[in-house]
Amino acid sequence: MNVACTVRANGEDTSGGWPATTRRRQLGRRIGAALIVGAAATALGLSVHHGVQVTAAAVAPASIAEWTTFDSQQACLYRAIRSELPKGARVYIADPDHFDAQRLAELSTQWAVPQPGLATSQWVISVDRGHACSGISLRVRGA
Amino acid sequence: MSDSLLVVIAGLGLPGLLPALAVARRSPALVFVAPLIGAGLAAIAAGLELAVGGSLLPWYAGVAITVNVATLIFWLVARRSARLQALKGTGSAAGSSLTWSMLTVVVVLGAMVAPLTGLRAGITGYDTTAIWLTHALMVAGGHHVLLSGLQNPVYLSSNPDYPPLVPAAGALAFALAGQGHLHVAVGVTVLLSACALGVGGVGVAAIGIGGRPVTRVVALAAGAAQCLAGFAVAGIYGIDGHADLLWSAAAAAAIVWGLVLPQSTQALGLAWVCAAVAGLTKNEGLTTALVVLVLIAIRYRPLTLPRLRRTGLRASQGSLSMLAWPGLRLWAERAAFVAVPALPGLAWAGLARHIGLHDAFFRSRSTQSVPYRAAATMSSMAAHLTIAPLAIAVLVAGCCLVRHDRDGGRLGNPAWLWAAGLLATAILFATYVFGSPEIHWWLHTSVLRTTIFPQLLLYTDVAAWLVIAFGALTGPVPIPPGGAWHVTDAAPVTARAGG
Repeated sequence: MNVACTVRANGEDTSGGWPATTRRRQLGRRIGAALIVGAAATALGLSVHHGVQVTAAAVAPASIAEWTTFDSQQACLYRAIRSELPKGARVYIADPDHFDAQRLAELSTQWAVPQPGLATSQWVISVDRGHACSGISLRVRGA
Repeated sequence: MSDSLLVVIAGLGLPGLLPALAVARRSPALVFVAPLIGAGLAAIAAGLELAVGGSLLPWYAGVAITVNVATLIFWLVARRSARLQALKGTGSAAGSSLTWSMLTVVVVLGAMVAPLTGLRAGITGYDTTAIWLTHALMVAGGHHVLLSGLQNPVYLSSNPDYPPLVPAAGALAFALAGQGHLHVAVGVTVLLSACALGVGGVGVAAIGIGGRPVTRVVALAAGAAQCLAGFAVAGIYGIDGHADLLWSAAAAAAIVWGLVLPQSTQALGLAWVCAAVAGLTKNEGLTTALVVLVLIAIRYRPLTLPRLRRTGLRASQGSLSMLAWPGLRLWAERAAFVAVPALPGLAWAGLARHIGLHDAFFRSRSTQSVPYRAAATMSSMAAHLTIAPLAIAVLVAGCCLVRHDRDGGRLGNPAWLWAAGLLATAILFATYVFGSPEIHWWLHTSVLRTTIFPQLLLYTDVAAWLVIAFGALTGPVPIPPGGAWHVTDAAPVTARAGG
């Protein structure tokens, strides 16, 4: 875009050193830029505000208490698997709760070897209600 | 836990420091990219552990030493040649005074303190348990545990083919902080996500370089806000050990440095590192990284028809080698631009297929029709892209009103960023449509995370336009005095030919 204007030759108002069309264009551009800044700042500001709310909910005392319990359960189950089963034990995870079965599979990793079926396993493990691990306990029985 | 976290981040950051210095030089991105490079080295070590044998730590030490020695050799060779001068000359996209660099680090780091306080809650996400911590324990167990674990059908739902960056960083955390400290690995993932956001935030702040001090301050604020927006978009998934924010932020940072900021070796290097990190973090990160790398290759080595025509003319005059060589060299360079940074991610994907690992998404054919799945996906993804209409409005207004300011700053055409976002989102969309899991369950459990990348990218574009528009508001009037005015975009066109 190469635009050359000889506005003075056209007799346009050049008060203030600038032709009127140029001043109008400049003003429009500045208003547009200000609108972009305003819209973008609002969008980013709202997002930051949402983020603050998310963090505040995450660090609420109830949330911290809940996740502290979960963390101590994980650490306790991790230790229980390593103390109650020999290294390399073939285990079958028989927990009806999908989440508990999942965490047992995770925490068995590196120590026991989860089996897809009962036939190849030596032990059956599950999570029971109890007191050993902050409201739950590891249950181990022979296959 | 904070002490252990610092030890692990130092364990990742120190081996990555020299390569980071070579890539980022004086840019404030150096602080954020060093741990990412360290995590990338750990991922390569995990790949070697799986492919060759042994355990993570010796491989990590070996890879780190090799890369650092290679960096030193590169420096010594470059110092003796004019190449270093060339690098100095071109590597100034974010080159700035020490004061501004330090201020950028302080502001971006300071902004992320708020979301990182969420780590106090000790939240552990479902996938964090089912996938990332499980894989981290496998990597920590050595070759046999890793190989047999990934091939164990019990772990099939953990997507055993997922790339190893997060598990490798987690395994390193176990090695440094103790095996039982599972949550340290979660914290490391969160801090790496923050680092990736930091690289992107520094990139946004670099858009203001060349502007007046007030514009630079606004650019700094926009960069910090973009980091916070990343955590806000990810919500709880940003602080509970999921890997989605990490790959999304790394891919967005690759786009900022590779497709938005002016072309330079520094920007290219940072974009490559970020793309490699995205590709080593998750499967969708790898596909997105490939899209971004292809676009970067085309931006830096443009497809110029006239050149081909000229070459063809020469060939018709009898010189066949003249036809083939420049064209072939250009295509070889483009291929290298994609293949080199994508190599670690592609190598892992190839290795995973070689040992029979597959994800859980394409195991069987879905009973739901393609139009049905497409409609469900469209509506679900749209619900999480509410920023899109505003981003489009800002884009249109920006292109109409402050395009010259963008060109004047030698920034990339916004079409690059939007092409990257649209292509990556289209691949994501196709994955949902042609995948096998029941679509509503699948969307319900994942779309919030998979749309982090497009959302973050839209916020990045909005932040970039904010800086450009503010620069236009405060910048010098681009019209010569004297009444007659002459607006020309000759210089920006020259810049655009390369940028």
